Amino acid sequence: MLKRIESFLLAMIDRNRNRFSEKGKWGWLQPLFEATESFFFIPAIRSRTRPFLRDSLDLKRFMSIVLLALMPPFLFGIYNVGLQSLTASGEPAGFIPAVALGLWIVMPIVIVSYAAGFFWEILFASIRRHPISEGFLVTGLLFPLTLPPTIPLWQVAVGISFGVVIGKEIFGGTGRNIFNPALTARAFIFFAYPAQMSGDAVWVAVRDSSGPVIDAVTGATPLAITALAPTFDTIESMLTASGYSLSVMFTGLYPGSVGSTSALCCLSGAVLLVVMGVASYRIIVGGIIGLLLTGLLMNLLAGPESMPWLAVNPVYHLATGGFAFGIAYMATDPVTAPGLDGARWIYGFLIGVLTVLIRVLNPAFPEGVMLSILFMNIFSSLLDYIGIRMHFAKRVPNV
Amino acid sequence: MKTIRIKKSVRFNLAGRPSVRVEDRFGVGNVAMVCDGIPFIKPRLLVEINDRIRIGTPLFEDKTRSELKFVSPGGGTVTEVNYGPRRVLESIVINIDDDEPHENFEVLSTAGIASASRDDIIQRLLDGGMWSCIRELPFRNIADPGLVPAAIWVNLDGDDPYQPRSEVYLKGTLSFFETGISVLQKIAEPVHVCAAADASLASNGRARLVTHRVSGGYPANDPGVAVYHTRKTPEDNRVWYIGGQDVVRIARFLTIGKYPTEKIIAVSAPEADDCRHVKTRIGAPLADLVAGAYDQALHQWITGGIFTGTTRSKDGFLGITDASLMIAPALRVRELFSFLRPGFDRPTYSRAFLSVFNRSPFPIDTDMHGEERACINCGTCTRVCPVDILPQFAYKSIYADEIEEALKHGLLDCVECGLCAYVCPSKIELSQALIAAKHQYFMERD
Repeated sequence: MLKRIESFLLAMIDRNRNRFSEKGKWGWLQPLFEATESFFFIPAIRSRTRPFLRDSLDLKRFMSIVLLALMPPFLFGIYNVGLQSLTASGEPAGFIPAVALGLWIVMPIVIVSYAAGFFWEILFASIRRHPISEGFLVTGLLFPLTLPPTIPLWQVAVGISFGVVIGKEIFGGTGRNIFNPALTARAFIFFAYPAQMSGDAVWVAVRDSSGPVIDAVTGATPLAITALAPTFDTIESMLTASGYSLSVMFTGLYPGSVGSTSALCCLSGAVLLVVMGVASYRIIVGGIIGLLLTGLLMNLLAGPESMPWLAVNPVYHLATGGFAFGIAYMATDPVTAPGLDGARWIYGFLIGVLTVLIRVLNPAFPEGVMLSILFMNIFSSLLDYIGIRMHFAKRVPNV
Repeated sequence: MKTIRIKKSVRFNLAGRPSVRVEDRFGVGNVAMVCDGIPFIKPRLLVEINDRIRIGTPLFEDKTRSELKFVSPGGGTVTEVNYGPRRVLESIVINIDDDEPHENFEVLSTAGIASASRDDIIQRLLDGGMWSCIRELPFRNIADPGLVPAAIWVNLDGDDPYQPRSEVYLKGTLSFFETGISVLQKIAEPVHVCAAADASLASNGRARLVTHRVSGGYPANDPGVAVYHTRKTPEDNRVWYIGGQDVVRIARFLTIGKYPTEKIIAVSAPEADDCRHVKTRIGAPLADLVAGAYDQALHQWITGGIFTGTTRSKDGFLGITDASLMIAPALRVRELFSFLRPGFDRPTYSRAFLSVFNRSPFPIDTDMHGEERACINCGTCTRVCPVDILPQFAYKSIYADEIEEALKHGLLDCVECGLCAYVCPSKIELSQALIAAKHQYFMERD
């Protein structure tokens, strides 16, 4: 059966190849044709020059593994969004209704993200005659997972358009971009439409009783609660009083962005990425070390009159907000991270440091991890540059 | 005996390694002198079609260094002179006579070698067309006899799984090998002899000749890798090297006085399970080396190793430097959604397939296994480069025409092993870019 489907598809692809060739009727859509073909079958291309042996790993596989690693937070996010919605509207929260409602809320966001992003991807690929990059499969899913479930769909489209065009394509496409496109998109939405991206009224989507319209109700995220903390209270006690104990925040069953609430799911994804050799463990471990060390340093500065975030147990930094998601999936994007191992340690470490600094010292931006990753994206080339110079110094010259 | 450990190298587990069986296929008919494997020469033809020539008659010389002569691997009639694009000499085909005549060179006894001068030996090797076996690092050009290198490296084993094994070609030729080493010691000292750490030395008493054991996967036994890991000063980069089998040939040439045409070739056609060594002659037709026909639409005929070789047509001939012939399936069978499959049978350096749990040898093919994409800076190439070049950054500096930057990256240390291009998930021709830049630098310097 599979063999027959295979040969049918192969025949269909081969039949249409000429129409999409350089001179064919649909020649301007050649990148789309190539992308479709290589989605089904990796093209058979023989090596023309030495070496005549090539690794089985290609970029499609590479990106597929990232997608696979995104599945735990994605699937968990669907359940969690539905669960929070049912809880907020006082309905009984069974597993199946929660998943169904979650799908109903999340899938439109994901579909719009992919559709709008692919439109730009195909447009640029067709005009600039470069192949459609598999990297967008990841970007298109990463972006929705960082959004609140109540986000208006048009903002999703605007955001991903900004991310793909300004974040990536104007630099020349995948491999040449400075900033992570998904984070660029999120940063744009965050600053352009703060009403829909922050505060405590955007994180739980409920269905309006009159129809399919999705409405937002109040449901504060842990980080939003901490922003309200008076100076005499500790963050830990406030969070626990609101029902956000460390274990709840670690598992992720609380209102928040679609897919980045659960540190546990992000951890499992990160383990998968590292084990399969796709993400650099140096960035992840470096980030966690940086976060914890800076958290401890902040504790030393804390006094009775100081801001409550200074005194928080560093472990809370790991579990709250999007740090786990950011360090596992955003910081490890190889294009915008440094390429050298030493530089990757520093890069991850500084992301951890900056995340804490932004969270603690600037309560206006509780989501420090997004800004710190974007900030370190700028410096990753510099880190590589320094690493390369140090590498040169070690060589016995040969000219 | 010193040990050199090469950590950054790849141990391959591939099907079709030639067995130690040696088959005699010393064919008669046509042989050819193929020029395209000889680096950096501009041939000036010395014969014409229908000339009667002997084994050892000069066929062409290098235009810029006319002392470099290339002699005929067969005695008979010149039947074809083939030119490639821009009228570059490609090959000269010779139809062999029944009573193959050969040029007689002056015989030098073992004692004579000990008393001969360096210049005398070099002159004999130049006249006999044997000098081109001796190469110079870093450009791998034919050594300049006017210079004295810091050392000569002899590497007995190749790590490419499809190269002749030293235990095969040294069987019965060990005395020649010893003589060859003493010839090399006349030319320059010291002479380092490297053997792979896993090759057995006990069998034929060559242990006393070996100075270095090299442990590691491919390409640990490349002379460039050994030099990179043992050098102390920039002067140590200027060394010569020669293959183990050519040491034997040099000794044969000097002590017998005839151009040695015999050579042991590793032949692998894994699909037909036809993997062995073949004793044949230099310039033999490729089709003579294998049993059975292989369609060129489905197979690639590769001489000189799967990592460093070239493709040839099935009507082609062995080049003078080639020591192996590999017939590999050209393309992988196209599977639906192959990027989603567990990939239990897909050889890979990465950990992205379940094949990491598969210990059996993998069948090979010469498919790219993907399309070319932009570099995503994953850094996999930096993990395999045996001489610590950062290939993705060196490649980008070449791409930007920053040759000075590429030189700082260690462009000239590149051993041209091809591992960076092998592992690249974006299928970028990294090693080809480095090799081309190196060649261009060679052509343009002073």
